[in-house]
Amino acid sequence: MVSSTAWLISIRWWAGLGVLALTWLATMVLAINLPALPLYGIGLAILAYNAVFEVMRRRLLAEGLPHAWAFGQMTRLQIALDYVAMAALIHFSGGLESPATIYFIFHIIIAGTLLSPRATYLYTTLAVGLVGTTAALEYFGLWPHVRVPELANSGLYQKPLYALGNLFFFATALYVTAYLVATLNVRLRKRAAEVIELSERLRRAYSRLQTLYENAQAANSTLELAKVLDRFVQSTARAMGVRACSICLLDETGTRLNLGAAFGLSERYMSKGDLILEANPLAREVMAGRTIITADARTASDLQYPADAVAEGICSMLSAPMRGKEKPFGLLRAYSTERNHFSQEDAEFLAAIATQGSIAIENAMAFQALSQLNEGKSKFVLTVTHELRSPVGVIRSLLRTMLSGYTGPLADQQRDMVERALHRTDALQNLIDDLLDLAAGKSELGIPEERVKVRLDQAVEYVVKQFQIPAQEKQIRLEWHCEPANRSLLISATHEGIERVLGNLVSNAVKYTRPEGCVQLRLRRTDSEIYLQVSDTGIGIPEEAVPHICEEFYRAPNAKAIEKEGTGLGLAIVKNLVEHWGGRITVESKLGQGTTFTLIFPTVRD
Amino acid sequence: MANEKILIIDDDDDVAYAMRLPLQAAGYVVYRGASSEEGLRMVKQVNPDLIILDVMMDTTTAGFQVSLTLRNSSASSEYAAYRYVPILMLTAIHKTTPLRFGPNEEYLPVNAFLEKPIQPEALLEQVRKHLEEKPV
Repeated sequence: MVSSTAWLISIRWWAGLGVLALTWLATMVLAINLPALPLYGIGLAILAYNAVFEVMRRRLLAEGLPHAWAFGQMTRLQIALDYVAMAALIHFSGGLESPATIYFIFHIIIAGTLLSPRATYLYTTLAVGLVGTTAALEYFGLWPHVRVPELANSGLYQKPLYALGNLFFFATALYVTAYLVATLNVRLRKRAAEVIELSERLRRAYSRLQTLYENAQAANSTLELAKVLDRFVQSTARAMGVRACSICLLDETGTRLNLGAAFGLSERYMSKGDLILEANPLAREVMAGRTIITADARTASDLQYPADAVAEGICSMLSAPMRGKEKPFGLLRAYSTERNHFSQEDAEFLAAIATQGSIAIENAMAFQALSQLNEGKSKFVLTVTHELRSPVGVIRSLLRTMLSGYTGPLADQQRDMVERALHRTDALQNLIDDLLDLAAGKSELGIPEERVKVRLDQAVEYVVKQFQIPAQEKQIRLEWHCEPANRSLLISATHEGIERVLGNLVSNAVKYTRPEGCVQLRLRRTDSEIYLQVSDTGIGIPEEAVPHICEEFYRAPNAKAIEKEGTGLGLAIVKNLVEHWGGRITVESKLGQGTTFTLIFPTVRD
Repeated sequence: MANEKILIIDDDDDVAYAMRLPLQAAGYVVYRGASSEEGLRMVKQVNPDLIILDVMMDTTTAGFQVSLTLRNSSASSEYAAYRYVPILMLTAIHKTTPLRFGPNEEYLPVNAFLEKPIQPEALLEQVRKHLEEKPV
């Protein structure tokens, strides 16, 4: 309407000028006897009100938000004024006899293009009325007829048949034009609306594809089942553009679905209870693989909790199956607060989301099952080792008492045997302690101590001091460097744990380095991480053994040759603890030249 | 020095046996209670000069309960007379066990900890030391 107003104004300049030019041409050049003054007046009037409209248009635009309603009114007013001007023009150029009557067709086309069909017919009637009234007034001599003998047989306006016939053809021409323009215009507008609708649908389809992709990313970004489900329902609700979304998972019995995650639902609604397949025809249908639209929750007969849904303000629902490799394992549902919200297209889209999400969710479920199994194993080891620890301790107590001679003097051979037995139980005790550490580290039961901020440089200094004597005995240089760091070297760990980690690494390094060798610890930090390197010039690890060196019970063959005893759990404990604190460990080694373990910890703030 | 009475409160026969031998060899008179209840009863019966107390018996903290009962600061306690009897506590608590305690006068009134397995020499040394320090 805004642009059409401008269009109308720009045309009208020409119309006004045209009237002036034609009047001049007719009166001065062709010497037609026309009332020049009124005609010039009409031309000037057209230009004048056009100027007023132009000013109004600019003012409305300058106000910022162009008001569609104001522009509509303006257009109607312009057309009405045009009609009056046109009627005057006709009158002063000979009334019914004027050749200008045909120009009304332009006005009808303009009205038909800009206004509704009804308004077009209304204006057509106005035009016919104006011309008819002019003719009638002239006929009855109430408005003096302007005679233009050069153009028409004078006096025709007084012949009723001529007047009525002329008027009839004028009117029908206008009405037919109005009809044609209005019909064409309606078609055009419909087409335009279709184009808009189509592009809107394309935009929606694109945005859905985008969200489908984002959904997949969100769901695949973690393996933790609860997180996967949470992210999935949240992004699904967003993708569907609805208030809420939930996912229910089939339990082990396969008879009921319990809530896995929900977004946008109240606590009360979520605690309404499980979906029991026997009592829930809709859930049964979905678990049979169908996607179901519930157009109106109030009248649906296949819901288990219709009253709860109504109380929650849910009016319509869309439910799709989550399909695993073998069979459906859950139900994905979108909730809308409008009735009849979901279309067949929505149903297909939700089914696609469900299919895609199923993979991520199944993976997370498998991961959870594995984690639980692993946790169970760790708990088992923890319990068993606890039970083993006590009797081994008692055996050692008894053997020591015997060895100390409190049961009477021991013969040499007896002493030798008791010593051997004690030696073996000592080794057993070490194994049990290591196993306990490992199992405790892996189990949620274990590592009960709260993590604290540990100054890594202090811990290194302390451990290095502890190993100075054994190192000196082997003539090994044991030293540590800290890259000039005025920044903190704090990590999140436990004091005991970090001593254990460093103790294990340093004792290994000293153990497997030949006399006159060297063991070095180096500390440095970057913005986000702290690096601790423990390097030795020891026997090294065979290439094929490097990937296994931190595995439980694994010992490299050359290490076994040097040190017969050893549980093969030390490095597993180190790795386990470091990872538990959010760090990681890497190993580099060259057989016969040495080994470097690098621990990388995230920094923590003071 | 000899003939001082030592009460072992421990539910493990073998551990008690392993301690009894060196203690008797050193001339002490050794008594034993096989549970917290029996131990507390024996305290009143025997009036020991020193108590060796196991931490874990029927429950993981039974030993702590016994030491708290004996060291109860109220004068009206039926064990008020035994408040100053030195207590050596036997622990085999591994560092990853959820319960960890260090000797702390306020929370755990014992005189020293003895680590299992028993080293006879270390046991005798601790016993001697705490009997000498025993307040009169």
